[in-house]
Amino acid sequence: MELTINGQRVSAEANETVLKCALRHDIHIPHLCTHPSLPPFGACRMCMVEIEGMRGYPTACTTPAAEGMVVRTETEALRELRRNILGLMMLEHPSACLLCDRREQCEEFRPSSEKVGRTTGCHTCNNKEVCDVRKLSEDLGFCQLPVPPLYHFRPLERSDPFIDRDLNLCILCGRCVRVCKHQHDTSIIDFVGRSSISRIGEAFGRTLLEADCRFCGSCVDVCPTGSLADRYAKWFGKPDSWAETTCMFCEEGCALHVGLEDGKAVAVRAVDEDKPLCVLGRFATAPFMNGTERLRAPQIRVGDVLREVSWEEALTRASEKLSACKGGAFAVVCDTSLTLEDRYVLKKFTTDVMASPNFIISVPDGNGRAKASLPDGVTAVLTTGDFLTETQRDALDVLVVQDCYPSAILEKADIVFPAALFTETEGTVLDCRNTARPLHRLTTPPGQARTDGEIITALAAALNTSGFPGNDRATLAEAAGIPEATLYSKRESVPAAASNPAKRSAWFRGHNLALLVGGLKSLPADGEPVAAEEEASLPTFVPTDKRIPFQVLSKQEISPNNHEIIFYAPAVAKKAKAGQFVIIMADATSERVPYTLCDWDANEGTITLIVQEKGQSSRKLALMRTGDTAAHIVGPLGTPLEIDNYGTVVLLGGCYGIGAHIANAKALKAAGNHVILIVEARSHYLHYYQEELASVADEFIASTIDGSNGVKGHSIDVLLRRLKTGAKVDRVIAVGCPFMMKTVAAETAEMNMPVLAALNPIMLDGTGMCGACRVTIDGKTKFACVDGPFFDAHLIDWEELKDRRNAYSEAEIGSLLRTEPVEHAHHAHGHGCGCGKS
Amino acid sequence: MPDNSNTDNTAAEPKPKKERPPRQAMPEQAPEDRARNFQEVPYGYTPELAMLEASRCLTCKKPKCVDGCPVHVDIPGFIALIQEGKFIEAAHHLKEQNALPAICGRVCPQEEQCESKCILGIKGEPVAVGRLERFVADYERASGAVATPELPPKSGKRVAIIGAGPAGLTAAGDLVRMGHEVTVFEALQETGGVLVYGIPEFRLPKEIVKAEVNFLKQMGVEFVMDFVVGRNATIPELLEEEGYDAVFIGTGAGLPAFLGIPGENLVGVYSANEYLTRSNLMKSYLFPKYDTPPIRRERVAVVGGGNVAMDSARTALRLGGDVHIVYRRAKEQMPARIEEVHHAEQEGVKMKLLTNPKQILGDDKHRVTGIECIQMELGEPDESGRRRPVPVKGSEFVIEVDTVVIAIGNNPNPLIPRSMPDLATSKWGTIIVDETTMATSVPGVFAAGDIVSGAATVISAMGQARTAAATINKYLHGEEIVVPKPA
Repeated sequence: MELTINGQRVSAEANETVLKCALRHDIHIPHLCTHPSLPPFGACRMCMVEIEGMRGYPTACTTPAAEGMVVRTETEALRELRRNILGLMMLEHPSACLLCDRREQCEEFRPSSEKVGRTTGCHTCNNKEVCDVRKLSEDLGFCQLPVPPLYHFRPLERSDPFIDRDLNLCILCGRCVRVCKHQHDTSIIDFVGRSSISRIGEAFGRTLLEADCRFCGSCVDVCPTGSLADRYAKWFGKPDSWAETTCMFCEEGCALHVGLEDGKAVAVRAVDEDKPLCVLGRFATAPFMNGTERLRAPQIRVGDVLREVSWEEALTRASEKLSACKGGAFAVVCDTSLTLEDRYVLKKFTTDVMASPNFIISVPDGNGRAKASLPDGVTAVLTTGDFLTETQRDALDVLVVQDCYPSAILEKADIVFPAALFTETEGTVLDCRNTARPLHRLTTPPGQARTDGEIITALAAALNTSGFPGNDRATLAEAAGIPEATLYSKRESVPAAASNPAKRSAWFRGHNLALLVGGLKSLPADGEPVAAEEEASLPTFVPTDKRIPFQVLSKQEISPNNHEIIFYAPAVAKKAKAGQFVIIMADATSERVPYTLCDWDANEGTITLIVQEKGQSSRKLALMRTGDTAAHIVGPLGTPLEIDNYGTVVLLGGCYGIGAHIANAKALKAAGNHVILIVEARSHYLHYYQEELASVADEFIASTIDGSNGVKGHSIDVLLRRLKTGAKVDRVIAVGCPFMMKTVAAETAEMNMPVLAALNPIMLDGTGMCGACRVTIDGKTKFACVDGPFFDAHLIDWEELKDRRNAYSEAEIGSLLRTEPVEHAHHAHGHGCGCGKS
Repeated sequence: MPDNSNTDNTAAEPKPKKERPPRQAMPEQAPEDRARNFQEVPYGYTPELAMLEASRCLTCKKPKCVDGCPVHVDIPGFIALIQEGKFIEAAHHLKEQNALPAICGRVCPQEEQCESKCILGIKGEPVAVGRLERFVADYERASGAVATPELPPKSGKRVAIIGAGPAGLTAAGDLVRMGHEVTVFEALQETGGVLVYGIPEFRLPKEIVKAEVNFLKQMGVEFVMDFVVGRNATIPELLEEEGYDAVFIGTGAGLPAFLGIPGENLVGVYSANEYLTRSNLMKSYLFPKYDTPPIRRERVAVVGGGNVAMDSARTALRLGGDVHIVYRRAKEQMPARIEEVHHAEQEGVKMKLLTNPKQILGDDKHRVTGIECIQMELGEPDESGRRRPVPVKGSEFVIEVDTVVIAIGNNPNPLIPRSMPDLATSKWGTIIVDETTMATSVPGVFAAGDIVSGAATVISAMGQARTAAATINKYLHGEEIVVPKPA
């Protein structure tokens, strides 16, 4: 069958759609709801084409290719239609960044996505690097919205294990709904509600967990936006590369597609997009490999404690101990989670080196839990995991452990060798169908850990064994008769464990996985002790006259991701001045983090802050409820804004700076200045405090990047336009994110006009004691906490400031990644979270 | 200084002749173990060891050791009680002069103070006063028999103490025992000042500081946390509006000094204050249980040769790093206690001596990649009497590191002087006091510790604080006070 697309004769296969045919011939047709692993749907209408003889604009994804068809995919009418469709779609997606003039500079200044609660722009979106919508908007030259966009203010859904959802980014393409139905023949999620309130969700407002989700992650994989995210992988962005190996969590032996970054596994997907992995392969692999508790160094027992030593010393000690107990008194205990090569080496070691018949492979039960029984007379054991009971352990004279994580067995161990895990090992495994599957070494073992085979070979050498097989894979494979292995990537069905959570393993190498991978706690498998349900018994807040210092008197999400919190902090309120800040610790284990004072009431003893949820500390504050109490608030800190009668002062504000300008405007106006307050936001729904702001300034102008409220553009654009008309401005004060302030500085560099910026670097004490907040101003070091926060914007080293602010962003992933469901960890849908649930 | 790392006490059996047993070492964790954990290094004396060590004391009639002690602890007195096995009584006796014995026993440089004056030290080794002090304080705390001393009737006077560090806690302890009402204002979230943010857990377990503070609370001292004097209230306001009759300033030297070389603001360069505060106060070594991100790096250079440099280096070691100390003079010239240098070396800190940093190198993301140093040699003595290090031309070399900790000292924190212009300060920013009374140029305001003397030791701060407390007592009873002469 042949047809013509854009004048090109192409051949189509039977049952092929026009879209598939075109794509196969490298003819690009924009499309969104279509996905290679899903049947055609025709929902987004993006792939509309013109076909001669057919009425209107049929969608290429649902139209079967036919003999002699004449198709046009790139006419101006089609482009216009598509732009309009995208425009309509973008009305319910935070799309301002796609329309921004300064996007390139912005992305240069902050190349990776920032950690954030709600995403309201591309620079904070975890999907930024792989976004289908962004790509489409670039292709189509998307440049304006037909009408102001709508933000639904849907609650962040972070109470499920492994998956975060922010449905405010959802464009209702339905890929997730369809993939769930297609792969599992069930509808855990579906479209809920109709027309403008239509959204993706579970029936009866349940969580994914309650709705019996399998957490295969396919919905996350197909989502074209950042609405659905892998809670672990999302902070790493797009992996540097992908490679394949075999999963060893159970004997199904699925092939894994592992995303790699700096020698680390950061994400995992199924090789065959149509046959998802189970929750272990998909979501547990990366956190398990990268666990902070992994054994990293060899240890030997000295008295009561295990002491970290060199490999050499540990091997020598092990060989001394073991050479004394050759024969039947010695046993090797392992389970089937070792490669065939390693098992062969271990067996050789048992029989040839230790002259013992006791090579014990304890076969795990259905949940992966293995326990060994030891023959009588065994007094020395080398084990590859926690397979012995306490009684068995106590009866031993010598215990050598090679393992990946600490366990109870270490209490008795004489020597501990750190072992590599399966993405760190080369070899072959047998799956439950007795087919050989290959393991590839994709990642670097932590610290000094080595593979089991390497450990045993080194140990044999330490025992002066001659003729012991080396670690050459090919030789080993031949000697052990290991068949050639193939990846189990073309599977016929979804693995049982992915369809039935009860069938997944709960143990690996004797370790309870739920204790090592947080999210698994809420997903008990059969035979696994169900973690005691920590029912969040929320104390009801009863308003009383008695106020406790640092108590939250009111808390609301005043615009997406911006939380207004009013604290009772009389000592702060009494002395606060415009431009000062406080340092807060939400609880006793929090960081000390500075927040600018927006407003205060000395009589009431209250202070008002705008907190943006941007990391672990601000998340803790954002999750506080009215009546909760912060552990510590200290302030006012910093040098107040210098107030004088300058004449005309322009205040530029963005993000938290919008709120921060309330105090500045009040003080400057009181000193007789003509105060012009210009605040910017990406879109109209991100503006807040407009009435208050208008009341404290002489002139108030709001700007938006997408033009949906006030003037289109950044606040600096408004100022520049005004300056062009010859307006006289005596002073400019910018408060906002570093990019916004840096832009103001750059745009005004040539003008002879004082411009101040309020800097907010990382701080500890806030009183000048630590110097963490060092900034370079005109080549000199200043402490932002005591010399600042206000500095001459033209003299600030912005690049250094940016990098110093990001000094811990990678490390912070560690605390954000504990994979515990966030809202659970704090409180389920408290009063203040704005989700409407209670 | 004896090697106190040996745990071999068998040689310590008293001999039949009247020969004195040797100075007793404290059992301690082996360097290989402790270099990777945050537990305290020495385990402390057992009662038997303590009595054996105490038996060495001659209980001199005119004890010189007492003169060597900045707070004049009755050393022979408490040691005599240990000799009798009266440990609790010894502790109570000790506490009459020293409010914080468990701390002083650990962090005082006894070899320069009491022990340097010990008669036994002339021919042999001095009595281990510090270890004995530590032993009785720990014994009392462990026994739970911490007694609250009887307090005199209330004087009706109120004293504000600024800073809950060693000086402030000492002054608070003295003043409350003189019958005054005492409030301590602290800016950080925990009491202890440098004892909690600066000195690491493995040298001074924070439990001990907590216990000492609880003891003060038991006696009625009030603590106001998260309060920055100079911001939340000025000293004149404390005196005039808040009704305090006297103010004691013990805010310490909390402004870190930097080298002033290129690259000092790179990511990965820390002041020792920041480095230690992250680890000690914010407990970042327990991350992610605590939110403050860890400073766990591979290769660390610590610049400086004082006790703080040793603390930083040993902390870096415990965080898993390969650690170099970069010091521009020779080892003998290091201001750190010999014992600390010795501990650091034992644990595996490498010393780059006669080495002066020239610049810190970084990558395009402003992250530290190395520190360029120049080799020094010793020249003529300088004003301090130490031979001046002079650079060897063309001897520059780079140590590849990802972290640099600057531990070259602290300057006084200017927060209070800035908020109080009539308080006389020196050109170094220290508050000027009369050294005999610790009175400042402002009536009713007294100061002690590092804010007066620049960066010094815990015990000297405590000694000055005791003087100040005595003066405050006189002042509150209407006596005339010697104030510093105007400059």
